[in-house]
Amino acid sequence: MASISDRRYTRRDTVLFILCLGLSIVTLFSPASWGYAIADTLRHTVLAPLVWLQTRAEEGRTSRMRFRTVIAQRDSAAYVAQFLPSLRAENERLRQLLKLSNRLATSYRPAEVLHQPHATDGRTLLLSAGSREGVAPFNPVLAPEGLIGVVLSVTPHSSVAMTWSHPEFRVSAYTVAGNALGVVAPSADVRAAEGSLELRGVPYRDSIPLGTLVLSSGLGGVFPKGIPVGTVTGTVREEAGWERVYRLRAAANPGSAVHVLILVGTRPPDLARAFPSDSQLESMRLDSIARVHRADSIAQAFRAARAARRDSLGRSSPMLGGTPTTSGLPVPRDSTP
Amino acid sequence: MSAQRVSRVQLMLVLLVLLILQFYLRPRIGNARISPDFLLIGLMLFAMRSGPGAGALAGFAVGLIEDTLTPARFGAGLLAHTLVGYFAAWSRAVFFADNTLVNAAFVAIGLWFRDLVVLMTSGTEGPQLVTELTLYSPLQALTTAGFALLVLVTFRSWFSIRLDA
Repeated sequence: MASISDRRYTRRDTVLFILCLGLSIVTLFSPASWGYAIADTLRHTVLAPLVWLQTRAEEGRTSRMRFRTVIAQRDSAAYVAQFLPSLRAENERLRQLLKLSNRLATSYRPAEVLHQPHATDGRTLLLSAGSREGVAPFNPVLAPEGLIGVVLSVTPHSSVAMTWSHPEFRVSAYTVAGNALGVVAPSADVRAAEGSLELRGVPYRDSIPLGTLVLSSGLGGVFPKGIPVGTVTGTVREEAGWERVYRLRAAANPGSAVHVLILVGTRPPDLARAFPSDSQLESMRLDSIARVHRADSIAQAFRAARAARRDSLGRSSPMLGGTPTTSGLPVPRDSTP
Repeated sequence: MSAQRVSRVQLMLVLLVLLILQFYLRPRIGNARISPDFLLIGLMLFAMRSGPGAGALAGFAVGLIEDTLTPARFGAGLLAHTLVGYFAAWSRAVFFADNTLVNAAFVAIGLWFRDLVVLMTSGTEGPQLVTELTLYSPLQALTTAGFALLVLVTFRSWFSIRLDA
């Protein structure tokens, strides 16, 4: 038979458990804005040292890799600088093409993604940039491949972004050809593969071929126009002959994103130029190669002209068995080898 | 200072180290979805050495930390960790909880159960739920249980206490 103290002990445990359980359930069903407010407050105060610690750890993990990249780029640049200046210019141009940050005409803040070991990591991301860096709610979050999501809440040194895989995420979008407009949302089809999107509300008469790129339309004022959202991979369903829903393969993967860019300040009208298509990249590359060829031919012509001039000077110099100049001016020496 | 008090301090020290590891070591060791969850190890080890009430309270605190950093559905982590903490404390009375391997197995089961509750309460369904519960959660449970085993073997004497005694 349990003693009085044991019964008290059990009663105290039960009360504590019910209290914690009740608080959890109340929090679970309270408005989302309350949850974000509580999370922001805690992250800014009690958990600030832990977030700071994780930020330092992420920096430490990536800094070694970045250092190696910088060393490799420096060695490559030094090598190229020694031999072929035109190739150096070509490398610089390609590097600029690959860097989204160079292409963005608007101001942005880079941020590191602090992934959590949670099953729902990927729906919301904790970012290492906050209001001190100019980040505000509803700022778009981008990866070099395309749209990641939108900033939900901000503290001075961190922010939380809702990614496209969040059930409440929506973005107005259009096809790159401009023939269809709709709303992109996470896939609600239970048979769909993980991480797929749906383009909803496309009129039945507007057929979209597979492989078509879908971009943000800029409607709504949150996301600028021209950010790649995904590529059409198939049809999900047709609503009684008046609407088609298409499945999209997302352009950017929030689960594997390590660094992102947060657009801050005023929204640019169109970001399509920052995300050139493959064909545009190809034409830019061909244009760049043509420039290199032109530069090489000019350099070759210059070398030939210099060699001819040296031959001419050699023939006219008495030291080399040539005829002296009649002007009496000193003969300029070519210091180049 | 009594031996019991020293053991409590030692246990708290290990839990503090686990908290630091969660935020300083885990980001450096690769994929976040399968790397060990040090906070859950700390919760399980604490709960299995204390009463159900303290276990639930510790679970609530851990859940608050998790939800604050991943507020996909605020409250899901609170509920899941409260349940895990409470049942971990009760499980000691049912199983041979002093065995190191049993402790590690409890950690693995606790992590999988935590993921199940979090996924269910946050509205995950279909193939994603199946993938999470059959692939990522078991993998993370394995790595977490492995690290818990390492901690238990290393600090065997420090963990041979009953906090509710």
